[in-house]
Amino acid sequence: MPAVDASGGGLRIVVCAKQVLDPDGVNSFAFWGRLKVGGDGRSFDTGGMVPRIINAYDEQAVEAALRIRDAGVACRITVVTVGDEAAGAILKRCVAMGADDAVQIVDDAAGLGDGFRTARLLAGLIAELGDVDLVLCGRQGSDYDQGTVPAVLAERLGAALVTMSAGVAVEGDDEGRALRVVRVTPRGEEVVRAALPAVVSISNEIGTPRYPSSRRMMQARRQRPERREASDYESAPGAVGVEVTRLIVPDVQGHCRIIEGGSAAEKAERLMRRLDDRGLLGG
Amino acid sequence: MAEHVLVLVTAVEPGGPLRDADGEALGAAQSLARERGCEVACALIGGGVAPAATEAAERGAGLILTAGAPGLAAFDGGRCVTIAAEAVGRAGARVVLIPRGPDVLELAPRLAARLDGASVVGATEVRAAGDDVVAVAAVFGGAARAEYAFRAPGPRVIGLAPAVAEVPERRPGRAAPTVALAIPEADGRVTTIEAAPDVSGPRLEDAKLVVAGGRGLQDGENFALIRELAQALGGMPGASRAIVDDGWASFEQQVGLTGKIVTPDVYFAVGISGASQHMAGCANARCIVAVNTDPEAPIFTFADYGIVDDALDVLPALVRLARERGA
Repeated sequence: MPAVDASGGGLRIVVCAKQVLDPDGVNSFAFWGRLKVGGDGRSFDTGGMVPRIINAYDEQAVEAALRIRDAGVACRITVVTVGDEAAGAILKRCVAMGADDAVQIVDDAAGLGDGFRTARLLAGLIAELGDVDLVLCGRQGSDYDQGTVPAVLAERLGAALVTMSAGVAVEGDDEGRALRVVRVTPRGEEVVRAALPAVVSISNEIGTPRYPSSRRMMQARRQRPERREASDYESAPGAVGVEVTRLIVPDVQGHCRIIEGGSAAEKAERLMRRLDDRGLLGG
Repeated sequence: MAEHVLVLVTAVEPGGPLRDADGEALGAAQSLARERGCEVACALIGGGVAPAATEAAERGAGLILTAGAPGLAAFDGGRCVTIAAEAVGRAGARVVLIPRGPDVLELAPRLAARLDGASVVGATEVRAAGDDVVAVAAVFGGAARAEYAFRAPGPRVIGLAPAVAEVPERRPGRAAPTVALAIPEADGRVTTIEAAPDVSGPRLEDAKLVVAGGRGLQDGENFALIRELAQALGGMPGASRAIVDDGWASFEQQVGLTGKIVTPDVYFAVGISGASQHMAGCANARCIVAVNTDPEAPIFTFADYGIVDDALDVLPALVRLARERGA
């Protein structure tokens, strides 16, 4: 078990994180027209040129957990992930940022893009950890952009759910705690109070996560995440919710008419005339 | 109960009409219902749903399920999922379509999980596949699309992207049987203590013209030029995530995957490079105009018209022309 122990009524926080293909890498492949679908028809073939990194929203969820500790709340922060053997690499960064310990569920039998399976495995692990007060997730994975896991986890754990959070604070004491959560909505920010246990998904508005020091990175490298098998929680291999059966890379054919002109003002004038001719400016 | 394809509408404004997105969902449901040899049902959850219920029937829903109560005008996840689960049962629904909106990310997977089904959100296409359906949604912020098959035993819950279908025509006087759904007490686990600002003004999502700025503006003060052009053209200002993160524009103005999805007639992308996360928010505009100093910027791949020049030279000229035009 971990060296750090915040026993004695501390808040038990679990952060769910996942490894994704670097979306910036995928996007630059797409921009240069080099994005290809692999032989299985449902994953990208980037020739190993795009690294796998921690999902940025999940890194921000780790940051949200650490800010709760920074605010003076005694807590134990465990980071968990589901994925193939290599997917555990992201956990070291989370520990270096300040998480106390980490657990990986090794799942080689996952269907592609099935957040329902991931949530089912995570719910099994979280129930096993016991007395978890707060589960933090990124708002969505930057690969499939579905945001399934936090909502399904809340349902399976019977916990309160708050999505799209820009900040989480813990109020009260051991006698009675609740969360004060700032949410991002299309109309602006709102503030909600949530009872514990709760699942909160973190949005990018929370800001840039801290950068681990090189000393902490060295320490984290020596720490081994605990390991579980998917079969500990789910008997059947493969998808349980949805499964990506095909990936389609759109063939983006540029059709842009570049408006030429001797000056910016001339180009602006020609543009306005074209838009007007097409009746696009109303009036 | 015979099967229906269920359209699930939440947060109906008290006495308000259906929104465009709701109508589009009814259109998508009709196509699916034809394929499946069944009818469309529409569940309406909100502050006061009678006018919206009438409209849904006039736009072709063959069964109306209502849950109207003052506290339901704002989305309340816990209660909505319980009400929605009853609606699914009452409608015998195997396929549930949810119009685009901020609540989908919570509602779709939660409802699916409660009923042992599965969900896909942001679907740009839903089609019959044998007895089942498949959904297509963008991945990696729009760099590609994925086709999803459903593997769960329960209902297929699908959140829709904008413009997946036409709004069915309204036939005044067409009526449908209406069932009132039980409204559970709020469970009190999540309570609002400071509401979001009550902005009843025009919404970016509804704007017919959007002028959006990005880092090419070079300085936060220059966002004023974006606002001026939007105002002169009777549109609304928008922003890339980069400059919202920089504090040059507010989150409410952010267009893209993590902001608003807009569908104007004309979208000006000024000093915006055109990353797919941004394009996810504006790709459905009828006409995209790009202004950028870099002729290689991805935005020109998506644009209909482009000006390769400095935004700070082009914008004042556009503002002047727009004002002359309006005068």
